[in-house]
Amino acid sequence: MSLQVRGLFRRFGNRTAVEGLTFDVAPGEVFGLLGPNGAGKTTTVRMLTGLITPTGGEAVVCGEKIPLIDEGSALRRKVGLLTEQPGLYDRLSARENLQFFIRLNELDEKTAWARCLRYLKRFGLDGREDEAVGTYSKGMRQKLAIVRTLVHEPQVLFLDEPTSGLDPESARTVRDAVAELATEGRTLVLCSHNLGEVERLCTRVAVIKNRLRTVASLKDLRKQGTALDIRVDADAGRFTAALAALPFQPSAMHEGSVLKVMLTADDQAPAVVECLVRAGARVFQVTTAARPLEEAYLELVREGDG
Amino acid sequence: MSFSWPRAKAVFQKDFLDLRKNKALLWSMLALPALLVVAPALVVFAYIYKPDDPNLTTMAQYFDVRVNPEDAARFLIDKVLIDWFAVYLIMPVFVPILISSHAVAGEKEKRTLEPLLASPVTPLELLIGKSLASLVPSFIICVLAFAGMSVVVDLVAWNTVKGPLLPNAMWMFGVFVVAPLFAFFGNGVSVVISARVNDSRLAQQLSGLFVLPLIGLAGGQFAGWLKAGVAYYALLGAFVLLLDFGLIVAARRLFDRERMMGR
Repeated sequence: MSLQVRGLFRRFGNRTAVEGLTFDVAPGEVFGLLGPNGAGKTTTVRMLTGLITPTGGEAVVCGEKIPLIDEGSALRRKVGLLTEQPGLYDRLSARENLQFFIRLNELDEKTAWARCLRYLKRFGLDGREDEAVGTYSKGMRQKLAIVRTLVHEPQVLFLDEPTSGLDPESARTVRDAVAELATEGRTLVLCSHNLGEVERLCTRVAVIKNRLRTVASLKDLRKQGTALDIRVDADAGRFTAALAALPFQPSAMHEGSVLKVMLTADDQAPAVVECLVRAGARVFQVTTAARPLEEAYLELVREGDG
Repeated sequence: MSFSWPRAKAVFQKDFLDLRKNKALLWSMLALPALLVVAPALVVFAYIYKPDDPNLTTMAQYFDVRVNPEDAARFLIDKVLIDWFAVYLIMPVFVPILISSHAVAGEKEKRTLEPLLASPVTPLELLIGKSLASLVPSFIICVLAFAGMSVVVDLVAWNTVKGPLLPNAMWMFGVFVVAPLFAFFGNGVSVVISARVNDSRLAQQLSGLFVLPLIGLAGGQFAGWLKAGVAYYALLGAFVLLLDFGLIVAARRLFDRERMMGR
């Protein structure tokens, strides 16, 4: 296993940032840490990269035990961290930024720089390595930050909200760059609240909101329930209130004449249709669909809330 | 505990390079040495311009009633060059404050600290690399300013005093022994404050408050309340050396990965 996390938790004073974290990540897996803002994703990543010490529990990352018993230089040679902000030195060029991290990792400068050049080319940054980073666009800066995390060829790469704050075009170029990394067989841990990003890149996710809500593959997560697409002859929004009368109170979304109703069990479908007909809807078509990830996610993060 | 000199050196080289490219900071660093070179030369010039001015005798006798009128100008020149060293000491304190606050609190401000701490560099290596990046330029600036001041003062006074006024033993001791201790102090104060705050300007302002006692001392000397000399400056140096040890302990404690991440 690249990561084995057992009962990890962290408190800041009286406040519990995150607790009950138990999951494994296999080598080469693209694993998502999914949760809303303030759910404890960044705290989790900081604990797993040895930046902060857990209050309790333990983890093994690339064979290195957490809590660390030393300065953690060995762990940091095996993992890479891409932070939400690129964290580059604006006055320095891309070459100078990367060379700094090559030296911090005590790598052979020639070999490591050749590797950097390959990544720069791959991410479309070649030919600009001697320009000050301050002149780069946001997307370019984030891609350069990715190259920086790869300087020492880490076994596990933690990506903390890599597209946060980027415009759609920049976000897409960064997402493409991450997708490329995923094809290399490197273990990636992606923190995000962007479901599209997670759906595109990850195979399994841990949903957290101050505690671990679930660990599942995306396929299994969607399977936890069904969605019904019901087409009626009028504005579907008129009938959502009627569904509240059902004992299992399904959640529903509507768009035009289509009502999407989330079910926790397949045998709830006849009752939903009957309820809509009683409310005056003329039902033209009923189809079962995979439950959107968003629904499963929202349900998980709302569980146990207020 | 492992310590890697190449990693500390990498931090030093990066910060030094960043400083060289930071034109605004360089200009603000050069303003103080320029003032320190020009001001004493102007004062010396004022004393030798009219050496028999009776006001000079009055001034000299305010400090020492035994001064003869014909020796008043020379007495005042010697006195200003002794007292000016207290003003000069502001530079080795202030320049490291300017650099260190950018180098430490600036990392937090620009969000470069987290990727840095996620690298294999240890807090001690970071502390040493950053301190060197602040102390080395400060020392160079202080020596160059002293050299410049010596040349300008001697050019101004040569015809009157028929020889060099500077460098003299007190200034050599001051520049190469006492000033580095003060530079260490300025850097230590700035590092400790920068480790606690997230804003480089706030770090600069708070650290800058530590220059005030020096201004007070210089004021006391110019007013004649304190009599400066080699022993006086050596005593000041010894006191600052004690403070330096305290600051090393505090900086070592505060330069902790988790403490820095938490702020």
